[in-house]
Amino acid sequence: MNKNTTRTGKILWLLASLAFAAALIAGWQLIANMRLISPVFLPGPDRAFDAAVTGFESGELGGKLLLTVERMIYGWVLSSILGVALGTLIGSSALARSYFGPTLEFIRPLPASAIAPIAITLFGLSNASVLVLIAFGTIWPMLLATIHGFAAIHPRLTEVGHVLKLSRLETIWKIALPNAVPDILASMRLGLTISLILTIVGEMLMGLEGIGNSILLAARSFDAPNLYAGVILIGLIGLVSNLLLDMMDRRLLRWRPSR
Amino acid sequence: MTAFDQASARKLKNSEQLFTGTEVDKGMKSAEPLITFRNVCLDFVGRRILQDINLSIGRQEFVCVVGPSGCGKTTTLRLIAGLLQPTSGEIVYNGKPVREPARDIAVVFQDYTNALLPWRTAAGNVSLALEAAGVPRTERPDRIAALLEKVGLGNRGEAYPSELSGGMQQRLQIARCLAQEPSVLLMDEPFGALDAMTRQHLQDQVLRIMDQSGTTVFFVTHDLEEAIYLADRVIALAPNPGRVAEVFDIKLPRPRNQLTTREDPEFLRLRRKIFDFVQESEA
Ligand SMILES: Nc1ncnc2c1ncn2[C@@H]1O[C@H](COP(=O)(O)OP(=O)(O)OP(=O)(O)O)[C@@H](O)[C@H]1O
Ligand SMILES: [Mg+2]
Repeated sequence: MNKNTTRTGKILWLLASLAFAAALIAGWQLIANMRLISPVFLPGPDRAFDAAVTGFESGELGGKLLLTVERMIYGWVLSSILGVALGTLIGSSALARSYFGPTLEFIRPLPASAIAPIAITLFGLSNASVLVLIAFGTIWPMLLATIHGFAAIHPRLTEVGHVLKLSRLETIWKIALPNAVPDILASMRLGLTISLILTIVGEMLMGLEGIGNSILLAARSFDAPNLYAGVILIGLIGLVSNLLLDMMDRRLLRWRPSR
Repeated sequence: MTAFDQASARKLKNSEQLFTGTEVDKGMKSAEPLITFRNVCLDFVGRRILQDINLSIGRQEFVCVVGPSGCGKTTTLRLIAGLLQPTSGEIVYNGKPVREPARDIAVVFQDYTNALLPWRTAAGNVSLALEAAGVPRTERPDRIAALLEKVGLGNRGEAYPSELSGGMQQRLQIARCLAQEPSVLLMDEPFGALDAMTRQHLQDQVLRIMDQSGTTVFFVTHDLEEAIYLADRVIALAPNPGRVAEVFDIKLPRPRNQLTTREDPEFLRLRRKIFDFVQESEA
């Protein structure tokens, strides 16, 4: 395969997926125009788009979007740092593993939403509570990926570390953690999605200003165009953040053989 | 063999002599053994793998180890590296029992792909050994460049291992080992996975580097001709349990040459002798 054919292939794929999205929007418009569902519940994409434009023009929607994205990113970064740090501790020490293991196995299956009331009693209806909620729900993939990355070091690399007499810290920093990076990056992708979900849920539960809360309020007041505008924005947040993560992957995993 | 055993016995009697001895013997090839196996036995989960290994390796000696698959060649090498401990007996290096890996004993692993850090460039991989040895950051680039140059990778410093051929990856591993400035280089079938041309080229490269640095080499191989071509001494191991079957002194002139050395009547005689021996012991 030469570069040209793969590039053409990529462009074709992009065009195909854009065509699919366009078809979906057209279908939606068609259904809305035919009034198969009452316009009170289902606005066409045109009305949803108008609502978004009006919202941005007033500056209100943009502010909410910013708040939501900020929460999502803080929560994601916090849980990634905690997950990798805790994973490093557990992954690099059998003692820590036997010490924390059972507790973690107990906590892990708890649904994040069950933590929300606890967070609220501790921190009130605040950003801190949402952050706790996000961190709790999002930490697991990063934690498990780090532990797995540590366990999956090729024995030869461990021996290289021994032969070179690397200290324990050097081994972690120069061998174990880089070895876990591909796993960690994949888990952070998953973590970002979870973080977005929990941000929306948190905003709804705690009535904090943001897109999550605004779609809840729109639904309650039968403001379908704004509801749909909000949902689409949330989808776009997911899309854009995934694209950014792709770029991060490409940069950090440049050493991988090209597939 | 017996000469070495006598030497190590002397060493036991008088440990002071050992220190003065090391200094004086530096230039003299294999006058005083650098590595000594004393009645080494090793069991893996109740199975005897190595039985009563007694062996001495002199300073700057090039020792090749041959033997059928599973006879314990790698295990012997790992004992010297300090990656394994014997069940009984001891391995003495520089007068001290080997308890753990030592900074000046480098290991070239057979599976170079797994032994390199895939996320570091060629230069970064060499750097690892310098970092481990505490070489200051500012001194590293020059030393890395010199080491890569030495193994013929001077212009591939920024390449990742996945971008290098098998032969280049193995040379990179050798460069990292040389960065340790080792007194002993342990090589476990280092060229086993490479094609014949690359293999011969690397054999000569290793011989040249060893000649310059005066490193002691313990070289495991499947290839009898490779063993004779490289070695001062070829040790044949026999399996079940692994033990020293025979030791062959190789008195071929150095520097060796891929054409003339391999055509040397002495080379052919040795090849015949060792080949017959291996066939016999396998029958
Ligand atoms: N970790 C281990 N646990 C149990 N047995 C082992 C282990 N490592 C090696 N052995 C056994 O020890 C014996 C010697 O193994 P070793 O790897 O030293 O052989 P070798 O001579 O290097 O073989 P090859 O030429 O195939 O590399 C083999 O019978 C092998 O099954
Ligand atoms: Mg082996």
